Amino acid sequence: MSEDVLAKVYEYLTPGLPVVPIAQGAEAVVFTSEKHPYLPNSGKFILKYRPPKRYRHPSIDKALTKHRTIGEARLLTKLFLIEGLKVPKLIACDAYNGYLWLEFLGEELPHGKGFSNLKNFLWMYATDDGDPYCSIVEETLKKVGQQIGLLHWNGYCHGDLTSSNIVLSRSGKNETSWQPYLIDFGLGSTTDSVEDKGVDLYVLERAIISTHSAHAEAYNEWLLKGFSEIYKRYGDAGEVKLKEVTKRFQEVRLRGRKRSMIG
Amino acid sequence: MVNLNAVAPGGGREYYVALGLEGSANKLGVGVVKHPVVGKHEGGDFSYDCESQILSNVRDTYITPAGEGFLPRDTARHHKNWCVRLIKQALEEAGIQNAAKDLDVICFTKGPGMGAPLHSVVVAARTCSLLWGVPLVGVNHCVGHIEMGREITKAVDPVVLYVSGGNTQVIAYSEKRYRIFGETLDIAIGNCLDRFARTLRISNYPSPGYNIEQLALNCKKKDTLLELPYTVKGMDLSMSGILAYIDNLAKDLFRDNRKNRQLFDRDSDEAKISVEDLCFALQENLFAMLVEITERAMAHVNSNQVLIVGGVGCNLRLQEMMQQMCQDRANGQVHATDERFCIDNGVMIAHAGLLQYRMGDFVKDLSETVVTQKFRTDEVYVAWRE
Ligand SMILES: Nc1ncnc2c1ncn2[C@@H]1O[C@H](COP(=O)(O)OP(=O)(O)O)[C@@H](O)[C@H]1O
Ligand SMILES: [Mg+2]
Repeated sequence: MSEDVLAKVYEYLTPGLPVVPIAQGAEAVVFTSEKHPYLPNSGKFILKYRPPKRYRHPSIDKALTKHRTIGEARLLTKLFLIEGLKVPKLIACDAYNGYLWLEFLGEELPHGKGFSNLKNFLWMYATDDGDPYCSIVEETLKKVGQQIGLLHWNGYCHGDLTSSNIVLSRSGKNETSWQPYLIDFGLGSTTDSVEDKGVDLYVLERAIISTHSAHAEAYNEWLLKGFSEIYKRYGDAGEVKLKEVTKRFQEVRLRGRKRSMIG
Repeated sequence: MVNLNAVAPGGGREYYVALGLEGSANKLGVGVVKHPVVGKHEGGDFSYDCESQILSNVRDTYITPAGEGFLPRDTARHHKNWCVRLIKQALEEAGIQNAAKDLDVICFTKGPGMGAPLHSVVVAARTCSLLWGVPLVGVNHCVGHIEMGREITKAVDPVVLYVSGGNTQVIAYSEKRYRIFGETLDIAIGNCLDRFARTLRISNYPSPGYNIEQLALNCKKKDTLLELPYTVKGMDLSMSGILAYIDNLAKDLFRDNRKNRQLFDRDSDEAKISVEDLCFALQENLFAMLVEITERAMAHVNSNQVLIVGGVGCNLRLQEMMQQMCQDRANGQVHATDERFCIDNGVMIAHAGLLQYRMGDFVKDLSETVVTQKFRTDEVYVAWRE
């Protein structure tokens, strides 16, 4: 990430706050800190900063940064209260300047395979002597599907479902199973629109196809399976809603294929 | 391992020569490209560096009057009228005297594109092939853009933003295919610009997009930007909302509809928003969305190189915005080309087709030369990359 952006952050924060840059995401720069922003606690915390983007007009930039930072904070607080749904805990939000403080999640994968987001996890099993279809992968993807099911069932959309925006966490080092957390709600929304949900699923399916091409078919099937399980818990009403969403999902997909593509 | 020298050039030559024919939309392009035989191409992925020489690159665009788009039938007629003349001109400029002997392959656009124009060009390609006894290669138009862009800019493995009249895609290579990471959920960027231009009767010469770019430069109120429904969904985007919104304003402005108080001042009746302001706002919003989805894809695949291809890619404002994004992002680089290569042309078809040919992939039977309106970028098996 560029020095200018980092300098800006260090100038803005309380001097001596030990923040270390760890990632440049799709729109934010992400730091970790050992210190809580305002409590005496220590631990591991995330600072997510959306820097101004020079490339876009200042009025677009200001509107987007504010809207997305507030939006993400608001969604995280609501989602955190939903039983079974796993999202990082919000610690603090400074919407005007584009800062969020969050609980840290995840860990480093073994053998230098990188941070434990779903993308690196799937790549880890897809390379070398890993088995991309092993039961841990299947189970994890179904759990991811369940998380998305819970999100949609409760009337929310993520807006940017990719394997980079799903973090896997283990309760202990010896624990073999992973718990997926949904992160990065900057494009998320509160919505009951079937269209939004259909698009959400379509975006995810395409992200899996492009990023995990060789195994995408099985992966998408497992995701959808987990997703459906949640809806099916709610009996007939759930089945009806599930049908609506999957039907729209297929329509959105078909629209993509039918789109005329004149060079 | 990729071996680009698997098929030897004809006539004992030390180089390959390809003729490329493109006519998937309103441009008819013919080009001749030459690849020298280079030792390093035998073992490794050097497809971005073929040391290619462009021997000729000629084009004729079917321009319709302001306010009108190009229809398939008329465009096909234009291509039929000009095809022979352009092929002759391209061969002459390239110094090809005996096409039967001097050409290794004839490359044509297989799709995607408009059916009738594609068809009129493939007929010419087949005829030349039979006449001269030179094999054919069918090329995916998008892959043509990508490979030409890589060759010109020497971008090894970039995230590609492909922006043209009918396409808007964010692409990256992985496992033998150009994978689509993001794309439009409805209309293409060029389509959006063209339709807006039509409403305002902006000239189609040299292209509506170019004229919008020039008008936007003359916007006097760059500080106060008209707000448009900016819509990004993950790595995808939607432009129909913006078009519907701005097109309504454009219609009222064109018809001088004073009742529209967003455009005309309540007291003085004077226009508050000019054509230039609309062009500026449209570009700023659409391009910000394009740059944003490109950045999202870069983050997702851990890349810091971008290549912009396709007709809208010659827009300097878009290139500038992309540059700024990349600089702020781990000192990334932007690669773009000028109108000779951005705008549809025959050279890109010749170049990509030649890569395909050098991997031993060419038409064995004329039944394989059927053109297709829909042909997704990720359907092509990219044999020439590692
Ligand atoms: N709570 C968290 N715990 C651990 N890592 C995180 C957390 N939030 C974000 N990250 C890391 O930072 C990256 C970017 O954060 P994200 O919220 O996705 O922002 P962006 O919108 O820029 O993609 C993530 O892909 C992840 O690697
Ligand atoms: Mg992210």
